[in-house]
Amino acid sequence: MELTGAQRIEAPREAVWQALNDPDILRQCIPGCQELLQSSPTSFTARVVLKIGPVKATFSGAVTLSDLDPPHRYRIAGEGQGGVAGFARGGADVRLEPGEDGATLLTYGAQAQVGGKIAQLGARLIDSTSRKLAGEFFAAFARAVAPDARESLANASPSAADEAAP
Amino acid sequence: MFAFAYHRPRSLADAVGLLGAHEEAKPLAGGQTLIATLKQRLAAPGDLVDLAAVPELRAIALEDGRLVVGAMARHADVAASPLVRASLPALAALAGLIGDPAVRNRGTLGGSLANNDPSADYPAACLALAATIVTNRREIAAADFFTGLFETVLEPDEIVVRVMFPLGGEGAYAKFPNPASRYAMAGVFVWRGAGGSGEELVRVAVTGAGQGGVFRWAEAEAALAADFSAAALEPLGLPAEDMIEDIHGSGAYRAHLAGVMARRAVTRMAGAG
Repeated sequence: MELTGAQRIEAPREAVWQALNDPDILRQCIPGCQELLQSSPTSFTARVVLKIGPVKATFSGAVTLSDLDPPHRYRIAGEGQGGVAGFARGGADVRLEPGEDGATLLTYGAQAQVGGKIAQLGARLIDSTSRKLAGEFFAAFARAVAPDARESLANASPSAADEAAP
Repeated sequence: MFAFAYHRPRSLADAVGLLGAHEEAKPLAGGQTLIATLKQRLAAPGDLVDLAAVPELRAIALEDGRLVVGAMARHADVAASPLVRASLPALAALAGLIGDPAVRNRGTLGGSLANNDPSADYPAACLALAATIVTNRREIAAADFFTGLFETVLEPDEIVVRVMFPLGGEGAYAKFPNPASRYAMAGVFVWRGAGGSGEELVRVAVTGAGQGGVFRWAEAEAALAADFSAAALEPLGLPAEDMIEDIHGSGAYRAHLAGVMARRAVTRMAGAG
């Protein structure tokens, strides 16, 4: 599946780029991330607890950054094994453009894939879950980079937003 | 299965205490989602706190002009209850449509609400009827209870005790079930009645379709408030990109289905009135 979204962040592009490469910030923003250890400038090992409804599975895996074009764009990708639950793989192409008033417009196109038992059981929910997680990540990211700009979060617009009503 | 500790408390206070005392504890109601998940090993809580022996959770009663249903009332109990059938027939009918007989004889109202599956039926009834969800520590309006896909405002050691449904007005629930699982591909609960100051109110709650779970369809409510007829809903459409898309159906399919279910519910009410 493919999903796209955009997020306005109340910080200059350089600062946003720094944050996109900061393991501490990434760890805070990846939903359920318990551990993110840098093993090279562009690779990390990660442990993520995925909790959706009754399902709770721990995934161990790797996160890599590629196609780096500072401060314009990069690709962040991750894949993990969740033991008996199956595997999950996903990535996002992230682009930064200067917005109005010194803010930055972040756009992303993300893909997600899951396999194994979790995919069979959750087939009806994988798309919704992926969208929700992507939305959570970028909303948390905007908050982490520009903690004082709460109003702009109301305009956060992953095409999949988790608002209750369309 | 894997090893876990099984607790069967005999009071609500003990149940809450057990949930607080064990970090990985999960409450067990009817188990129609949780047990299946455990069998697949997609979750491995260290402790299960079975609520089946807590006495005050099962009663169905009328109190102060409201229908009060205990959290551990099974779907079959609600569907067959003479009290529910007489006071809120649409709720009894909805309970009779949940899953299959095995699910209805185990699954519970509280379990369904706490799980907040985006395709579950009861959340639509709670939103459309403006129910109040009572837990061991507070009363929560249905409008504030559901916060997204499988998410509610419940704390880890908070247990749904009962649900209070205001009476009055009339309602109907129309559902298009998945032919295998009987989960709602789209389910719409329509209610019409008097608001707090006597003005006429319409509420339309949609389940099974939205990416974020159950939601109120404000456009449909406005159209029906002006003209309570299926025809008033004809021009309306839900945005396909906000609907669930999976192997069972596209977002556009579910958006269409939700419109059809809303019109069926309205037609049924207009016919009855």
